[in-house]
Amino acid sequence: MSKYFIPILFLIIYLFSIIKKVKPYDAFTQGAKSAVPFATSVFPYLVSIFVLTELFEQSGLSNFLSNFLSPFFGLLGIPKELTKLVLIKPFSGNGALAVLTEIYTKYGVDGYLSRCASVIYGSSETVFYVAAVYFAGAKTKKLALPIIISLIASFFSSVFACFICHIL
Amino acid sequence: MNVIFGIILTLSTIILIFKSPESVLTAMLSGGEKALNLSIKMVVVYAVWMGVFSLLEQSGLSNKFAKMLKPLNKFLFGKVPDRANDFMSLNISANVLGMSGATTPMGIKSVQELEKYKGTEYAIAMFFVINATSVQIIPSSVLALRSSMGASSPADIILPTILATLLSTVIGVVLVKIFIKKKA
Repeated sequence: MSKYFIPILFLIIYLFSIIKKVKPYDAFTQGAKSAVPFATSVFPYLVSIFVLTELFEQSGLSNFLSNFLSPFFGLLGIPKELTKLVLIKPFSGNGALAVLTEIYTKYGVDGYLSRCASVIYGSSETVFYVAAVYFAGAKTKKLALPIIISLIASFFSSVFACFICHIL
Repeated sequence: MNVIFGIILTLSTIILIFKSPESVLTAMLSGGEKALNLSIKMVVVYAVWMGVFSLLEQSGLSNKFAKMLKPLNKFLFGKVPDRANDFMSLNISANVLGMSGATTPMGIKSVQELEKYKGTEYAIAMFFVINATSVQIIPSSVLALRSSMGASSPADIILPTILATLLSTVIGVVLVKIFIKKKA
């Protein structure tokens, strides 16, 4: 059922644009144009995060931390294969995307682990990245409490994700 | 972020000096390479989504959406300046629709607008938490990745994702309402 979601949403947008006499070619191209500057501005963040994740992984630090935390995560129903994903997502969506790709390749894209990982990835945000980018030029420094609240909320939704994937 | 970055960078390098010193630079370069590959993939995904979003915007549909969100905004953020409300509505609609390329500029503008006024700390905190707990309906990047890797039905994760993301946002909103004081 849900495979019709995107096509139908897009169709509604197209039909509405036609009714409103929007020039579809011009509008689409104009939107697509903004993709390149966006990617350029995000690239430095990607490099920093990926260099960090790579060092984090190759030095064995990440395995150490995952192994240390996975029993606690396991008690709450998060499979040990997904501990790393839950840990990395708040820092880097792209690091998490790499971990997600790894999970897909290792355990098959259709299995429980992969579906569960998809839901964890899709239902949480890169808390620290949002804090860094949105508040880059801001005066507000009172972000500690909102960050903690976001992390707690995301963690519970990960626990919920592992649970709901058993049912749906 | 700087503290965490510094600690992990230093600690990892120290461990690698003992384990295999030659892999320090190789690891860093391979990180950069992965970043480049991902950026290329991202350009494609964003180009398509931003193209569709542009149609949404120019047809006036997104504006209707922003108007629909106004009562919700009032409930979540309390009284906010009009201009900030516009940016925040656009940010949240883009968020809901999973257009991450559009959420970031609108998010930055919202924060800048909110900061111009006194007594908006609560609104800023709430706005941040909503953005940081994800409210998107369609996890477009996950769907794209799943279909590119040959999933038999890539969209079967949409419903659980919506439920999980709803839960995280509700928890976030409730916690903000409890722990952060709203100023009149």
